[in-house]
Amino acid sequence: MPLRLGHLLTAAAVALVCAGPAMAEKIRIGSPYPTTTLDPIRSANAGSIETFGQLYSRLLRVDETRALAPALAEKWEVAPDGTVVTLTLRDAKFSNGDAITADDVVFSLLRVRDTPDSAYPAPMQMLDKAEAVDAKTVKLTLKSAFAPFLGNLEVFNIGIVSKKDVEARGEKAFVENVVTSGPYMVEKWVPNDRLLIAPNPNYWREGYPKNEGAELIEVADSNTRVSMMLSGELDAAREIPWSQVAEVQANESIEMPLEPSTVIYIVLMNHTRPPFDTLEGRQAAAMALDTVAMSNAVTFGAATPANSTLPNALKFYDPELKVNGFDPAAAKTALDASGYDGREITILITDEPEREKQAVLMQALWGQIGIKSKIEKTDAGTFWTRLTEGDYDATPTWWYNETTDPDLAVRWAVCGTCGNKAYYTNYANPEVDKLVEAGAAELDETKRAQIYADIQRITTTEVADIPLYYPPFANAYSKKLTGLRMTPALQWTLEGAEITQ
Amino acid sequence: MTDLASTASVHPAAPRFRHGTIEAALGAALLLAWLIAAVGAGVFAPYDPNALDLVAMLAPPDGVHWFGTDHLGRDVFSRVIYGARIDIWMGFAGVIAPLVVGVTVGLIAGYFGGLTDTILMRILDITVAFPFFILVIAIVGVLGPGLVNYIIALALVAWVAYARLVRAEVLVVKRLEYVQAARALGFSDFVIILRHVLPNVLGSITIYAWTDAVMVILAGASLGFLGLGAQPPTAEWGVMIADGQPYVLQAWWICLFPGIAMVTLSLGFILVSDGLSRRLRVSS
Amino acid sequence: MNSISFIGRRLLQIVPVLIGISLVSFFLIMMIPGDPVRMVLGPRATEEAVTAMRQEWGLDRPIWAQYLSYIGNTLTGDLGQSLKFRIPVLDLVLQYLPRTLFLVAYVLVIALPATILMAVIAARNEGRWPDQLIRVISILGMTIPVFWLGVLFARYFGVKLGWFPVSGYGDGFVEHLHHLFLPAVSTSLWLAPLLTRNLRAALIEQTEADYVAASRAKGLPEGYIFRRHILRNSVLPTLNLLGVMIAFLIGGSVVVEIVYAVPGLGALMVGSVLGRDYFVIQGLTLVYAIATVAITLAIDIFTAAIDPRTSE
Repeated sequence: MPLRLGHLLTAAAVALVCAGPAMAEKIRIGSPYPTTTLDPIRSANAGSIETFGQLYSRLLRVDETRALAPALAEKWEVAPDGTVVTLTLRDAKFSNGDAITADDVVFSLLRVRDTPDSAYPAPMQMLDKAEAVDAKTVKLTLKSAFAPFLGNLEVFNIGIVSKKDVEARGEKAFVENVVTSGPYMVEKWVPNDRLLIAPNPNYWREGYPKNEGAELIEVADSNTRVSMMLSGELDAAREIPWSQVAEVQANESIEMPLEPSTVIYIVLMNHTRPPFDTLEGRQAAAMALDTVAMSNAVTFGAATPANSTLPNALKFYDPELKVNGFDPAAAKTALDASGYDGREITILITDEPEREKQAVLMQALWGQIGIKSKIEKTDAGTFWTRLTEGDYDATPTWWYNETTDPDLAVRWAVCGTCGNKAYYTNYANPEVDKLVEAGAAELDETKRAQIYADIQRITTTEVADIPLYYPPFANAYSKKLTGLRMTPALQWTLEGAEITQ
Repeated sequence: MTDLASTASVHPAAPRFRHGTIEAALGAALLLAWLIAAVGAGVFAPYDPNALDLVAMLAPPDGVHWFGTDHLGRDVFSRVIYGARIDIWMGFAGVIAPLVVGVTVGLIAGYFGGLTDTILMRILDITVAFPFFILVIAIVGVLGPGLVNYIIALALVAWVAYARLVRAEVLVVKRLEYVQAARALGFSDFVIILRHVLPNVLGSITIYAWTDAVMVILAGASLGFLGLGAQPPTAEWGVMIADGQPYVLQAWWICLFPGIAMVTLSLGFILVSDGLSRRLRVSS
Repeated sequence: MNSISFIGRRLLQIVPVLIGISLVSFFLIMMIPGDPVRMVLGPRATEEAVTAMRQEWGLDRPIWAQYLSYIGNTLTGDLGQSLKFRIPVLDLVLQYLPRTLFLVAYVLVIALPATILMAVIAARNEGRWPDQLIRVISILGMTIPVFWLGVLFARYFGVKLGWFPVSGYGDGFVEHLHHLFLPAVSTSLWLAPLLTRNLRAALIEQTEADYVAASRAKGLPEGYIFRRHILRNSVLPTLNLLGVMIAFLIGGSVVVEIVYAVPGLGALMVGSVLGRDYFVIQGLTLVYAIATVAITLAIDIFTAAIDPRTSE
């Protein structure tokens, strides 16, 4: 009896082992970030952003040299005063065969701006009027001259959707038989698991996509992503843990180019709570943090320590800025001058390993100059609610910018009058707010550079937040894959990717 | 996690061999060793468990750091020793809290019967029919992550097994003659429960509780993996293992030593449980 | 045997339980701080957008009003929509139910024979080395965290040897078996010891029972006594535990699901709680409660079939 059972088990094991995976033709990409919706205006979460780019074409795109290039708009013209943009559409079709017209463009742009629960209307805030001059011509009138506007036409949520289809089907239009304008269409969506996309036969770009589509797989656990990458179950993976970069790089069939990103890690402080309510207190907090050591400890040297409140991949980033560097003695002096009473503060974090590491390091470094702190870990839902309500003392976190133009970045991170209280820190400096508007309205590049340099100098000196480091994307790619990269704005260059055996 | 653990102890094992004394003694010795380590952590641990050393991150075990250092350069040996405090506390508190709730409910339901019993048993049904993790995560969500809140969540979730056990025993005990007699003599219900019923059910409960402690520690580790365990930088074995996950291949020692600690402590609990159940079987 | 009225009574009992569950889960989840709308829209959302979406979903109404309309919808068979995915809750649940059930069945196929084998060997050698060995293995299996084991399995069997995929569900029966092998084994490694401890104790207890001695006195062969009496009577308590465990596996396999990237009901549940996806949580608790009751009922009927005394 045991013998027969043994045979049976062996046979079963052999059968299992030999049943190899089916021939994969799709490019399999693993990411910890879930796609929660296929409607480009409904989410500004990382996973959905990555997906939108594959499904919906925008009017313009960023080419390999990071310059704006034609996409659905074949050419465009900006009036001399900078307030009117006229775009001419190319002959293009939606995935269902309908022509993409100026009406669709007007509809899509206004939808971003006007839908009450549009997740990220900011890129279209300066748009005053959108008109379809004829089927192929769109005229966009701005509230005032606005330098970054063309760049904003490339942002992830400005993808063009079908007016006819969305008006007819409403929300359903983004659940089944989704009509797309981008390189791919939806083959199958298994929410909370994966999204299968197939080439859109009507895609405007001749010869693209160069592959049979992709499988965007959600893999929450970083170890699992690495295992899948190593065993060949993924062709590309997002966010390899820093500690395993070396191991993955050592694998002959995988490459990890560590591409530049617009991601920046920072420490947010609540400027209404001591010791961060005084300039000295914030400067003490900043000078106490050894960002070089922190960056090395967390990313094993992969990231660049940060010196500015803006990401280093942005236009007009100032590499020369050097203020509030690591200096424990000066930090102590500043803390004494701040009138801090020694009360214990709370470092609020989400439950990600990297965040925990940062918090423990902050706790230790702040402790050395006399800021007592405890760490409070909470889930993302509680975290975001508390952050947006200003119910926190300090937190290490990150953000990124969807274009390389700094306009949206400064509005997000340091502007006190742009709606989010300078990333919920309550930092407000009227001079900075004025510079933010001036930078957007200025059309001369040299003058803009000066304005953004000023913004960085002022906000970094006043410690709007504490910049920690600029991490590259820790993406891994199978070497049999060519042409797949991630742009600094969190978009895959999937349409040009090919599997070569 | 009690529901997971309605294990052997409910059906005590045979008396024939060593009556479980050796087992219980072995288990008790293991627990005692950990208890000593926990109490004397300040003496035994060579380093501050939370002291960072960014120069010596991920250092392998050697004469300086016996169990190596973790991803922040903290001494793993010291953290394991200090972790004993947390995990032993968690094992006991995580058992006692639901035990108290469960025994109380079980006694009341079993002894009084009738409508009281029906209502309490429906509440029990509701608790059972909840997915364990949803309930714990939701409660921890309301209260915030952390060990104390985990224990509170356990008290609200894991009492079910105790209540069932006690109620079943009470139903038997209350028919016993001396209990009936006490009732006839006009003793108050409270006194009867306390003097006559409770001692009778304590035996099987105790045995069960020792095994339950293992489940409490393990479920705590799973919560650590889901990011809902002890708050950093607390040295707790489950969280240490979960934190060591990304380094499991380059720095196996971060996970392994707290893992061994967890296995030996659990072994202690289970041996005590097994030993006691045999002894109880002998004496009955 | 009035099994129909027995089942009927059990089904009636479930009504107050279901109401209780819906109440508790609804109010408990609503009490968790954290706004689902903010999580759906992302950190960039404006205050206006958040308010608008709350209104659209009726989340700005008083909780009791929300509860009543939830109950009303549920009674008409409408479990509502996922806030996060904007698709019907029922679709989501049905998407994951088959693979979760498949995994549970797979685990049972592996764990049950192992349990019986180990428990019988241990019980028949009580106190001797096979018993001790099985105990040590059991304790190891129970205490090694699944998430730790998962990484080691994935790297060894998946990456190094290449025998098994480390993720996913695959297409078709054979591929399911192949893909879910490591998850199923990882789960069995703690489930089997748990059941073994239980069954071993029951077996030993039965061996000591009077009727066994009587059978021996009658000269019945040892193997016959064991199969016919001891084993049969020992299975009952383990069956009850098994029922509890199956129910737990349906909702509690979350760690295995995450480690092997095979999202099922467990991952959906945890994700929904963390994302405050209220209606999905409601739907899942309902499904889970019904499953629990069904499993308990099945075990009861099964028990009654083996041991007629219990149904009286």
